[in-house]
Amino acid sequence: MGKQMTEMLKGTLEGIVLAFLTGNPAYGYEITAWLRSQGFTEIAEGTVYALLVRIEKNGLVDVEKRPSEKGPPRKVYSLNTGGEAYLEEFWTTWGFLAERLENLRTEGK
Amino acid sequence: MSVRSMLETVIGGFDQKRRWRAYKARKRQLPESQKSAVGAIERYLMYAGGIADGEIATKMLEDLIDLFEQSAADGTTVDAIVGDDPVEFAEEFARNYSEGSWINKERNRLTDAIEAIDDKEGDS
Repeated sequence: MGKQMTEMLKGTLEGIVLAFLTGNPAYGYEITAWLRSQGFTEIAEGTVYALLVRIEKNGLVDVEKRPSEKGPPRKVYSLNTGGEAYLEEFWTTWGFLAERLENLRTEGK
Repeated sequence: MSVRSMLETVIGGFDQKRRWRAYKARKRQLPESQKSAVGAIERYLMYAGGIADGEIATKMLEDLIDLFEQSAADGTTVDAIVGDDPVEFAEEFARNYSEGSWINKERNRLTDAIEAIDDKEGDS
């Protein structure tokens, strides 16, 4: 993954993951697999895991342990009301940024 | 100071010792490459993480082993877990436990000092 992509993703990955979790509880492996299918092909599973630990700590998701066929129980993450509020703010912020940057690009032409 | 003696200083208390032993036992059960990776990351976290709180250090290692056990069960390679930049991964992982780090005290001290100045400036 390019350096610029890594840096930009840092600020947005939380919002991306929370958006994916909306109405769709999932565990770490599923989230990573989905991100890869969306073109973030080189995203590390550990990066997603660290993010999940963080959003759990920050009270944005609820976690439920479910037994799995192989290996230890899986932690399934679902968006809670704190996460919904965070996501709403994320989209507002993103809208602002995207609009400002688009203006900057067209003014520069 | 060796990592072992650092850990023994940090991880006191009966419950923490029990959890630390459980962590080591879980590490031994991992496939060879996963085990080596956990060992290397653990070493880095203990040296560079600066976690002075044994409870938080223990929780950090338990979260680390959760990740590698689950990934081993899914057949994920170490490379896919850690990514291109192992240091970046370890740093980001460690940030989740920064409330237990010695530097955190200094961060709070700096924040308080600047806030006190702000308050004074607000008065004048």
